[in-house]
Amino acid sequence: MNTQTETSPAPSINEGDLQRLVEFAQLVTSAQDALSDDMVNRLASALSEGITLLDRLTRNEGFTHLLRELDRVENQRFLICMSNAFTAASRELATAPPSTGGIGGLLKLMSDPGTQEGLRLLAFVGARMSNSLREVHRRGL
Amino acid sequence: MRILVVGGGTAGTIVANNLARRLSAETRAGKVRITMLSASDRHMYQPGLLYVAFGHMTPDQLYRDQASLLEPNIEFHVDPVKQFSLDKNQVRTESGKVHDYDILVIATGSRMVPEETPGLTEGAEFFYTEASAVKMFKRLREFNGGRVAVAVGVPHKCPIAPVEVMFMLHDYFKARGIRDKVQLNYYYPIGRIHTIENVAKWATPEFARIGVETETLFNIKEVDVKNKILKSEEDTQVEYDLLIVIPQHRGMEVLERDNLGEGGWIPTDRFSLAMKGRDNVYVVGDTTNLPVSKTGSAAHFQAETLAENIASIVKIGAPVRDYDGKVYCFIEAGHDRATYAMFNYQNPPDLKPPSKPMHWFKLSYNQMYWTSVRGLL
Repeated sequence: MNTQTETSPAPSINEGDLQRLVEFAQLVTSAQDALSDDMVNRLASALSEGITLLDRLTRNEGFTHLLRELDRVENQRFLICMSNAFTAASRELATAPPSTGGIGGLLKLMSDPGTQEGLRLLAFVGARMSNSLREVHRRGL
Repeated sequence: MRILVVGGGTAGTIVANNLARRLSAETRAGKVRITMLSASDRHMYQPGLLYVAFGHMTPDQLYRDQASLLEPNIEFHVDPVKQFSLDKNQVRTESGKVHDYDILVIATGSRMVPEETPGLTEGAEFFYTEASAVKMFKRLREFNGGRVAVAVGVPHKCPIAPVEVMFMLHDYFKARGIRDKVQLNYYYPIGRIHTIENVAKWATPEFARIGVETETLFNIKEVDVKNKILKSEEDTQVEYDLLIVIPQHRGMEVLERDNLGEGGWIPTDRFSLAMKGRDNVYVVGDTTNLPVSKTGSAAHFQAETLAENIASIVKIGAPVRDYDGKVYCFIEAGHDRATYAMFNYQNPPDLKPPSKPMHWFKLSYNQMYWTSVRGLL
């Protein structure tokens, strides 16, 4: 039988600990003094809306799938290319003369290799999306 | 399985959202249908009305579109119930439509009935509706001194409101620099200043500190509007310059009309929240006749218990939890301080000293409420 009584060492509080406690209390007091009812209202409102948004996003199957796809390196590169393309197109459009219209203008645009590349990309995406949509409807998702 | 929720207030919305989350797979598969019938397309944060009465909030801050608060798998109709036919498992709405159900949740809330006391509607100020809270605020702004009498009718919604209004009146008149010209009088219907004993014990010295005079065993009988006299059932009377009343409440008229419960309060099992004598009808929030406060937090805790039970009935055929009577009430104690009372069927509240962080917690909750009714908190 163990008759020895286990005693825990008395807590030692040194001056440094007390100083830190005082500083922490000053920080809390300062935060209390700095905050107003309006600030608390606004913070709580932002937090409330933020939590709601987070909840909606994390339970949204489409969004979570999109996030999973964005984890792939090639999709991240795709996003980078897309944002670069938007920037370049925006600049190009700003300096390009207005379209003259007519069949001639359309033929000129369509004969541009860049336009044809672009249309081909859109066609690829469109075809895949069409297949995917058909599959989703077929499975009743 | 058809689950019908009648009432789009705090309790009904939390039940419906909680069920929609728990039964999302079943609703997607078409095995469960959740329908809500409400009297309004807007949802009001009712505790905010007290803040409106003192100019701390404006009415537009109290509302959200009800549809925006509901999960997408809830079928929502603004079409209040006109008739409950519980023997047929049906309700008929104002538009004439009949809804069948397998499980019915009644969460129709309560309403103030000042018109049942002679002179009260004309002579007193209230803060239980948007219009009355705005009117009370305007009346307070015009008031420049005299005796303010605050009297309490029973039963009423939000048991802490009578205490809070005294602290808020004290702060309001002090901020306007006329506190010394205002006499605050408090009249309560039972033998102490609050129905919850520990709240009464806490509030008694607090009232003394801010100079509130109290009179107990004062049940409102009538108001002599012309002479500004409030009379009690106990044959006492008081003169006033401004009368603020927490009026008596009742359940919804349709419940009384269909004999579901005296005063519109439905006899409810205190643990299962089932309507007494009915296996597939449940009652939550103010509508119950339970011996707990008619307050948003009680509605919240009841709604969570009930939603979990209905979901488990759908999934495993039996409920899993009992409601323990839990209530949590913030108490604004003036000077930007607040405390709270938490209690249940077994344990009375133990009030802590008021503090500023608790006041901020209450202010934060005013915003977080929307997260709460969406079924998140």
